Amino acid sequence: MSFAQSLIDNVVRIAEEKGAKKVSKVVVEIGKLLMLNPEQLKFCYEVVSKGTIAENSELELIEVKPIIKCSICGKEYDTPFAICDCGGVLTVEGGKDAVIKKIEMEI
Amino acid sequence: MHKIEADVQISLLEENRKYAGENREFLREHGVVSFNLMGATGSGKTMLIEKTADKIGEKYRIGAILGDVAGDDDFKRVKKHGVKAKMVNTGKECHLDAHFIHHAIEDFADVDVLFMENVGNLVCPVDFDLGEDYRIVMVSVTEGDDVIRKHPEIFRLADAIIINKISLADAVECDVDTMIRDAKRLNARAPIIKMDLKKEIGIEEWIEWFVDAVERAKKLKGV
Repeated sequence: MSFAQSLIDNVVRIAEEKGAKKVSKVVVEIGKLLMLNPEQLKFCYEVVSKGTIAENSELELIEVKPIIKCSICGKEYDTPFAICDCGGVLTVEGGKDAVIKKIEMEI
Repeated sequence: MHKIEADVQISLLEENRKYAGENREFLREHGVVSFNLMGATGSGKTMLIEKTADKIGEKYRIGAILGDVAGDDDFKRVKKHGVKAKMVNTGKECHLDAHFIHHAIEDFADVDVLFMENVGNLVCPVDFDLGEDYRIVMVSVTEGDDVIRKHPEIFRLADAIIINKISLADAVECDVDTMIRDAKRLNARAPIIKMDLKKEIGIEEWIEWFVDAVERAKKLKGV
């Protein structure tokens, strides 16, 4: 819910700065390691956008995967854990942020 | 009316990062070492603060910011153990964030150690840096021996992992070795401390790690 609230606060602020009457679509990149459920976020967004200029706008979510790599052999993995098969420590980069990329609006 | 598109780059976590940075700076300035204490409701977070305060005695002045959805039960408990405490009711929010802490932190400039007891939850708190030095994750055997692998992210980023209520493991058919194996698979550097707070098992090991962690952080802060 706090992500949805922060999202709508930012969207409305920017739309108003641009003099928009209505927001039609918002594109957000969501890091996979945030473990946010996309359907839940969309539902919360729908709830908090009611009564704002972003009401009924479409929310597009793009999943961003982290880069998980062994620091010794360079083998890549899908999910993060501690130690590679070779004994090397895995490093995890990215996949931890939520970033608004695009706002489509009507002026 | 015409349509326009605005390409932007706004992180929804930016505001939290800003407050966390300010919290970290405030704590550094005042030489306060802080612990973000996370774990499910009933895992033993509040009791860990109580027992730590009892064991540490006069060595450090201990403070605690206690996050809960509602009520002041934890606040009343830790006060009895000489802990300087402040309650933060998060309302509908399921985690503490750096902004909640930002409001509460000013009262704690005079403590040596500050516990920030998070809301009982193993999912949401992980994304919100509070400005802490260390992250402690507590789990109890009553949560089931699959609880660690079900919540990989919080255990991956922990600085210490505590498995509490180990005396109850047989009664609830929980395999502690499975929990330890899962924790090690996710996190190679955090110590995994087996504990039973009520029976005072594992406390010495915890206190040893805790004092060492406090001293290391103090050195880094130049205290």
